[in-house]
Amino acid sequence: MITADEEFAQEFARLSAAFVAKLPLKIEVLSDDLVAWLLVPRDKAMLDRLSHEVHQLIGAGSTFGCSGISDAARVLEQFLAELRGDVSNASASVIDQIEAAMEALRGEADRIYAESARGGHRRSQT
Amino acid sequence: MSEPTLSRILYVEDDADIREIVRMSLEKLGQFQVAACDSCAAALSLVDEFSPELLLLDVMMPEVDGPATMRLLRERASAESAPAIFITAKVEAGDMQRYRKIGVLDVIVKPFDIVKLPGQIEQIWQRHRSSLNDNGG
Repeated sequence: MITADEEFAQEFARLSAAFVAKLPLKIEVLSDDLVAWLLVPRDKAMLDRLSHEVHQLIGAGSTFGCSGISDAARVLEQFLAELRGDVSNASASVIDQIEAAMEALRGEADRIYAESARGGHRRSQT
Repeated sequence: MSEPTLSRILYVEDDADIREIVRMSLEKLGQFQVAACDSCAAALSLVDEFSPELLLLDVMMPEVDGPATMRLLRERASAESAPAIFITAKVEAGDMQRYRKIGVLDVIVKPFDIVKLPGQIEQIWQRHRSSLNDNGG
């Protein structure tokens, strides 16, 4: 019979693996939403949705042992937060920074996913 | 006489991954009864039946955020005296003071240690109970 602690550890490992497995799709959705918003950068509702998706990654990343995801998402969130205050700040250089932050996030997600596929990514309970 | 133990927690979080791992932690490690849901609307639909002792609320949720969810839940007799703890990935200057003003016990910042979370909540709860006793509540 397994203890509650062991049962939790098993569930944590399962949920962490599921989080990593879903990462490519999450990043894809985020990337699509970013591209859609860049077409209409004054759309506040789209920017809010995008910011929320990024915000969720910050919380979930480190919780599931992927602190690089949280760090990269935090950088992206900061750029987006500046625009949420005033979307007219969406200059070409700010857009470039946002795109670079998105690429960094994608790169980190790809790295973790590949590592996991090789069986190399080990998550701990924080 | 020992303090009453915390039992029923109503937890509202729109991120399904976080919601699931927190629920598991609170149930398995903390031995709490947890009603977990993804929105204010869902919380309102189950609050009367569940009668929570504590509200655990994510701050940034689409449509209705944590503070508004707390206000709406407390309009129900079943949760009017339930204290709240907020969970957020971002605490800005002045947030804590603002949250305390509206009756929030404490804020837990994401990412948190999922194993220590039940103990952290229990600690906040006991501190709250002690302050009630000190104030004759």
